[in-house]
Amino acid sequence: MAALSEEVLLVVKRVRQRKQDGTLYLMAERIAWGPEGKDRFTVSHLYADIRQKISPDGKAKIQLQLVLHTGESTNFHFSNESTALRDRDAAKDLLQQLLPKFKKRANKELEEKNRMLQEDPVLFQLYKDLVVSQVISAEEFWANRLSLNNVDHSASNNKQEVGISAAFLADIRPQTDGCNGLRYNLTSDIIESIFRTYPAVKQKYAENVPHNLTEKEFWTRFFQSHYFHRDRISTGLQDIFSECAKQDEKGLRSMVVQGVKNPLVDLLSLEDKTLDEGYGSNSMAPSTSSANKTVKENSNSAIIKRFNHHSAMVLAAGAGKKACLTMKCAGPNWGCASETSSTDGNSRDSDFFQPPVKKVKIQEAIEYEDLHMENGKKTVALNLKKSDRYSHGPVPLLPQQYTTSQDIINSVNCIQQEIANYKPCLTQVMSSSTASSAIAALSPGGLLMQAGSQQAINQMVPSDVQGELKHLYTAAGELLRHFWSCFPVNTPFLEEKVVKMKSNLERFQMTKLRPFQEKIQRQYLSTNLTGHLEDMFQMAYNKFHAWQTRQMLRKT
Amino acid sequence: MVMASEDEVSLLVIVVDVNPIWWGQQANREPQFTLSKCLDAVMVMGNSHLVMTRNNKLAIIASHCQESHFLYPFKLWKSGDGHGDDNPSTSGDGKYELLSVANDIMAEEIKILMSRTEVKGNQTDTLLAGSLAKALCYIHRVTKELEAGQEIKSRILVIKAADDCALQYMNFMNVIFAAQKQSILIDACVLDSDSGLLQQACDITGGLYLMIPQKIALAQYLLWVFLPDSDQRSQLVLPPPVHVDYRAACFCHRNLIEIGYVCSVCLSIFCNFSPICTTCETAFKIPLPQMVKAKKKKLKPST
Repeated sequence: MAALSEEVLLVVKRVRQRKQDGTLYLMAERIAWGPEGKDRFTVSHLYADIRQKISPDGKAKIQLQLVLHTGESTNFHFSNESTALRDRDAAKDLLQQLLPKFKKRANKELEEKNRMLQEDPVLFQLYKDLVVSQVISAEEFWANRLSLNNVDHSASNNKQEVGISAAFLADIRPQTDGCNGLRYNLTSDIIESIFRTYPAVKQKYAENVPHNLTEKEFWTRFFQSHYFHRDRISTGLQDIFSECAKQDEKGLRSMVVQGVKNPLVDLLSLEDKTLDEGYGSNSMAPSTSSANKTVKENSNSAIIKRFNHHSAMVLAAGAGKKACLTMKCAGPNWGCASETSSTDGNSRDSDFFQPPVKKVKIQEAIEYEDLHMENGKKTVALNLKKSDRYSHGPVPLLPQQYTTSQDIINSVNCIQQEIANYKPCLTQVMSSSTASSAIAALSPGGLLMQAGSQQAINQMVPSDVQGELKHLYTAAGELLRHFWSCFPVNTPFLEEKVVKMKSNLERFQMTKLRPFQEKIQRQYLSTNLTGHLEDMFQMAYNKFHAWQTRQMLRKT
Repeated sequence: MVMASEDEVSLLVIVVDVNPIWWGQQANREPQFTLSKCLDAVMVMGNSHLVMTRNNKLAIIASHCQESHFLYPFKLWKSGDGHGDDNPSTSGDGKYELLSVANDIMAEEIKILMSRTEVKGNQTDTLLAGSLAKALCYIHRVTKELEAGQEIKSRILVIKAADDCALQYMNFMNVIFAAQKQSILIDACVLDSDSGLLQQACDITGGLYLMIPQKIALAQYLLWVFLPDSDQRSQLVLPPPVHVDYRAACFCHRNLIEIGYVCSVCLSIFCNFSPICTTCETAFKIPLPQMVKAKKKKLKPST
């Protein structure tokens, strides 16, 4: 019964199940138990079926219980005296790793379906109309849709990483606790920001919690330490964070050494040059050794150093994993994956990077894309052979009235005579009877107003009826799509499907369409709202009959 | 009625089809409605428009088969100038001077226009597209000459007598789209037979198309339907829009078709597929569907 190609992850001997001795096997996709001496497994469960495992501590018997989704449970008793607990724990740990993987897979599809139904109300309505009322089965419904959406999902799996706010430390505003204490409110977002920005702190956390300190203690110490505070004067206290401070110093120094990649940016010109006493005439060499600086200068430079370091670390953390992978970070340069720093000095490539980057930057600065000369694409000239077609356009040929030249002469003479004697007589333009007949024609119901009396159909039909009609159309469209996609009928599967779809169509017509028609008839709506739907169904039936008769002829 | 603001100018340009051949034949067909009567009705319409509001402006263009001529305003006027040597032939009935002057000018101009008509056999179609183009240019000029702060709303009313000329199709369509871009309405009052081009013009620009059953009541139709401007029309019950047949005619047979083939190079329309477009001589290939072969195979064993 065991598949030979299955990978066995763990074998535990001397496991009893239902008072029988045997061996427990954990494979890649299932857990199985076989009695002693036999080859076959009597108990085998896929991980996907297991809902939970229970391993009670402190009992006399060392057991492992598996509860399946169906509700039944299986009990394994580890009876090896010496190694029972260890075996049980090993099995438990392995199950702990494997079960979540399979659980996700089973639920993922369901979740996917739920998500799709929730996001698209039209789909949800369609689902209700067709599957819930048993017109078509759920598998057919999902057959086309799931494959489409899986493609979308893989694209959206590359989620964007959430960035880090530079002010996250400042946002932890401590509140006074009443009597000389401070409350710091730490959310998981802030904790994550701290870990991402200061990997040294994360390492300390991993080392100390939960073995040495609890989380609360860790954070209390963090905030108490001078590492966190402004004036980071290394005191030499035995603080778990003093190491972090030293590492930060090293990191900052290496960043300064690496400098900025952009050749057009000259950071050195931003140095503080103060005109000291004498307005520059006293040329005092600016001393950079920290011994000469006053205490105030020292603390100022410390703050500025910390600001710079903090900003650099935030940027580095925000640059993300991509940059990290391409970098060769050596030594204590934890967060050196920023755009401005190149690889460490050992790599030979850094020299080659310099000139092209500089060139590109200079080019960018001096050229504007839209001021370039237009390099038009090569075009083909339009060569018309019958250009008179453009003069008359797509206009149908109308019967031309042919006027003889005599007619023309006569007409022109007539008109010329008439107009030569023309005198506007505006009081006799028309008689009152003609005027009133014209008005009658223009009044509602008159000769010229016939077309306007028909109201638009969407004003006559109530909106709930319209909504129902829309649902009917969507559902009918779905069914008809399934039906028509079966043609041409090549395989026996399609044959069955065609027959099934035809019966589905008939059922839909009976259960949904007829009641709707009766309903609108009762409401005295004279408009034929369902005529088109009926036509579509009739066409489908006709096609089915034609196909059926052809099948019969072929068989006989 | 919506009161136009003080500074809103409403310009109406009436394009009258005075094709002498059609009107000459019309004089024989229906002697009680001749060009004179038509011009009277147009004058009534023009006067009414000028009288509606002080800010209204008017222009009348006569569309002849040899030219398009402005009947009003008088070409030699300069804006604002009085006409010094105008003989005071104002009618003694105390009419508003502007109207009497306008009527006189119109009558004078039409006489001049008709007297210089030459008989030419090959020019029998009304130059309607050209007149519309002139109307658009006039509107554009007036718009440019407005004082600061004034707004203008313009529309064109076409009174059409003779039949459509198919050769003017391209020009016509260009005029229609130019009017649409400038938000100029084109209304059409058709006396004789339906004109597809004018139906399209009215549909595209948002104007009204009307074919009147009684020619002698032309003035009444003009005043009832075409005198209100577009703002007021929304509040009146007017004839509903006509269903326009936008079907194109194929270039090979000039039949109206609903589904056809279009050359992607020159955009000419054909009813059947042909491997070479006859207008621009581009060669086309359509791949045959592969289904055809499979079907053939299937039928063989059963027969």
